[in-house]
Amino acid sequence: MAQASYPTREPVDFVVIGSGAAGGIMAKELSTAGFSVVVLEQGPYLHPGDFTHDEWAVTQNEELVWGSRKGHPQTFRRYEHEKAEIVQGAPLGYAHNVGGSTVHFSGNLWRLHPIDFMEASVRGTIAGTNFADWPITYEELEPYYTKVDWEIGVSGLAGPWDPPRSRDYPLPPMPVKSAGVLMERAAKAMGYTAFPAPVAILSKAFNGRPACIHCGFCNGFGCEVAAKSSTAVTMIPQALLTGNCELRTGCTVSRINTDDAGRANEVVYWLEDGTEQAQLAKAVVLCANGAETPRLLFLSESAKFPDGLANSSGMVGKNLMFNGSTSAAGLFPEEINGHKSIATTRVIQDFYSIDPKHGFYGGGGIDSRSLSRGLPMAAAMRGGVFSGATWGSDFKRGLAREFTHTASFNGHTTSLPLSTNNVTLDPDVKDKWGRPALRTTFMNHPDDIATMKFFTDRSMEMLDAVGAIQKVGSYAETGQTGGVHLLGTCRMGNDPATSVVDKYNRSHDVPNLFMVDGGSLVTSGRGQPTMTIMALAFRAADHIIQAAGRNDI
Amino acid sequence: MNDIQITRRLFLQKTADAARTSLFVLSLPTIMTSSAFASEAMQMASTTLSVLNADEALEFTAIAARIIPTDETPGATEAGVIYFIDHVLGTSRTEALAPMREGLSALQAQAQSTYGIATFSSLQPEQQDALLTAIEDTAFFGTMRYMTIAGMFSLPEYGGNRNHAGWDLIGFDHAHVWSPPFGFYDAEYMAKGE
Repeated sequence: MAQASYPTREPVDFVVIGSGAAGGIMAKELSTAGFSVVVLEQGPYLHPGDFTHDEWAVTQNEELVWGSRKGHPQTFRRYEHEKAEIVQGAPLGYAHNVGGSTVHFSGNLWRLHPIDFMEASVRGTIAGTNFADWPITYEELEPYYTKVDWEIGVSGLAGPWDPPRSRDYPLPPMPVKSAGVLMERAAKAMGYTAFPAPVAILSKAFNGRPACIHCGFCNGFGCEVAAKSSTAVTMIPQALLTGNCELRTGCTVSRINTDDAGRANEVVYWLEDGTEQAQLAKAVVLCANGAETPRLLFLSESAKFPDGLANSSGMVGKNLMFNGSTSAAGLFPEEINGHKSIATTRVIQDFYSIDPKHGFYGGGGIDSRSLSRGLPMAAAMRGGVFSGATWGSDFKRGLAREFTHTASFNGHTTSLPLSTNNVTLDPDVKDKWGRPALRTTFMNHPDDIATMKFFTDRSMEMLDAVGAIQKVGSYAETGQTGGVHLLGTCRMGNDPATSVVDKYNRSHDVPNLFMVDGGSLVTSGRGQPTMTIMALAFRAADHIIQAAGRNDI
Repeated sequence: MNDIQITRRLFLQKTADAARTSLFVLSLPTIMTSSAFASEAMQMASTTLSVLNADEALEFTAIAARIIPTDETPGATEAGVIYFIDHVLGTSRTEALAPMREGLSALQAQAQSTYGIATFSSLQPEQQDALLTAIEDTAFFGTMRYMTIAGMFSLPEYGGNRNHAGWDLIGFDHAHVWSPPFGFYDAEYMAKGE
């Protein structure tokens, strides 16, 4: 069936803004339920044949992740009293294309654990932070985690390491890489449990898509055989096949308008040539990610919503969390060849919650990785990890050895939600459309940094346990300066005074506006948020469809 | 070169269109054909300069040769890094062309005042290293290092990484398909049934 086509001046049932992890799922679920849906995506619809191993284009020329070079500058500062400066690249990193960052992500699909949803009750609140329980439990979300597994295709191995699951993985785990073997051996030596990483990458053919061919250009790149289960090759094609969904690419939304009753009724956007369009809508689902969603809410301010749309709580843009990340690189006597196959194949979660006796809050997991994602240019740019040389013969000889002989044990950790860490509109810098640039204000809570140190130390011990010849650990000792997990900026909660959306992702303030993306997360989880973003999307879609059925939108 | 690049683009476009029309995507043989076609285009990398003149190219080549020297293995010179640098200064990094020329002039002035020779490429390697070490923290050197490394390890179609000199140096095999085992330890793991 042909893709739907709707006139802009007649209201469609839903406009979905963004087509990534959440937007792709919303489009598919709502259109499958029979609603008319228009999806607005600012980037292009890239297909497997469009993806390359071109490291220069993808990692240096912002082909997928737009920044200053593409007319989308971002600014950064540590504290609110400082003036933010333009930062090369993008402190808030995400792919601009159909499928969003599920196109270029590593595919790590960890579920949260039951503790993540009720940690403030179990562990106690943390002074000076907005650390809180979620308004939902793991049990409420579990059916939707399982739905993600089966709808998009996840490879993994069920076991005691998993939080409770109602159904097995649809696909067996991916083959272990050398770094994963070393992690498994280290874990055994230290009494930890290493298990196969659950990934949104196909270990076998599934739903008309082929298995992974282990090409190695995975994390940061689009998959050239569609074995990575991005929403661009799973949800979006299904949405289009319903005949109810129209996907409009190259459409950058400028604002959401509301009617006299304060209901969202129109989405205004630019075509690539700058022409302005406006689509009428009965309801709007905003899935633009934890950076763009708050920006759009701020840009949609009006007399009725002077602090930005849906922001009576003042929480829009606040509580930005990136997840901590750490790296411990070890040089080994034999070949690791991290440049082949996927990003990671083994995980340990023995420190999911660090014992409070250490005196700080935190937790996370460690997975087996490659040197600089297994990318030749990135590895060389970084400089000799073990030689310390950055140019000259020593640099060159160091590279020759370390590229193929390095395994990295990387930590993925908690971030605490703080009001002072946020996304706002830059008062001076504008993007190519003349919109205020995204401004990030961010300094980690001391416990985030203590957690990163803890995980670096554990990873270094593991490298020793498995015979690394040399090792180098690193983490953001002075605080992170950006991230690709854009979390917390439209947090979910029962109390309209302290949260932006309710437990079904509906705006507390605007009844026919839904925000579904990483911004919804109340706490950061342990480092891999996409699975939870996707599960929340399936759950929100279920409830939106039910609410529409009883005329309650 | 232009003809081949256009043909390749059309080819990729066609395969993309094929994928677009159905839920089925590129099969393995299509990918193999596509990458073989791409390799063919890569062999046609340019050997002429577009924005740098011969003197500048000689100087930049000499600097790149100290960043990734030629020793027991090929270095930036053999990899044709200069053609990459020339290409990007004329395309995606045009804003760097003027500062790079200024930086080169400053380096040459330093060569003149220190060694009495105004061409960097005429100096002895030790003299070159001494001058570069002194400017290690400058934007000029940072950009030279950046472009040299990028040229060494990028796809050969950009002009550098000739004969895969960069990739061979670090043991990177460029292929689109691998199957396990990928390295020594997973091979051992499979053999032992760990």
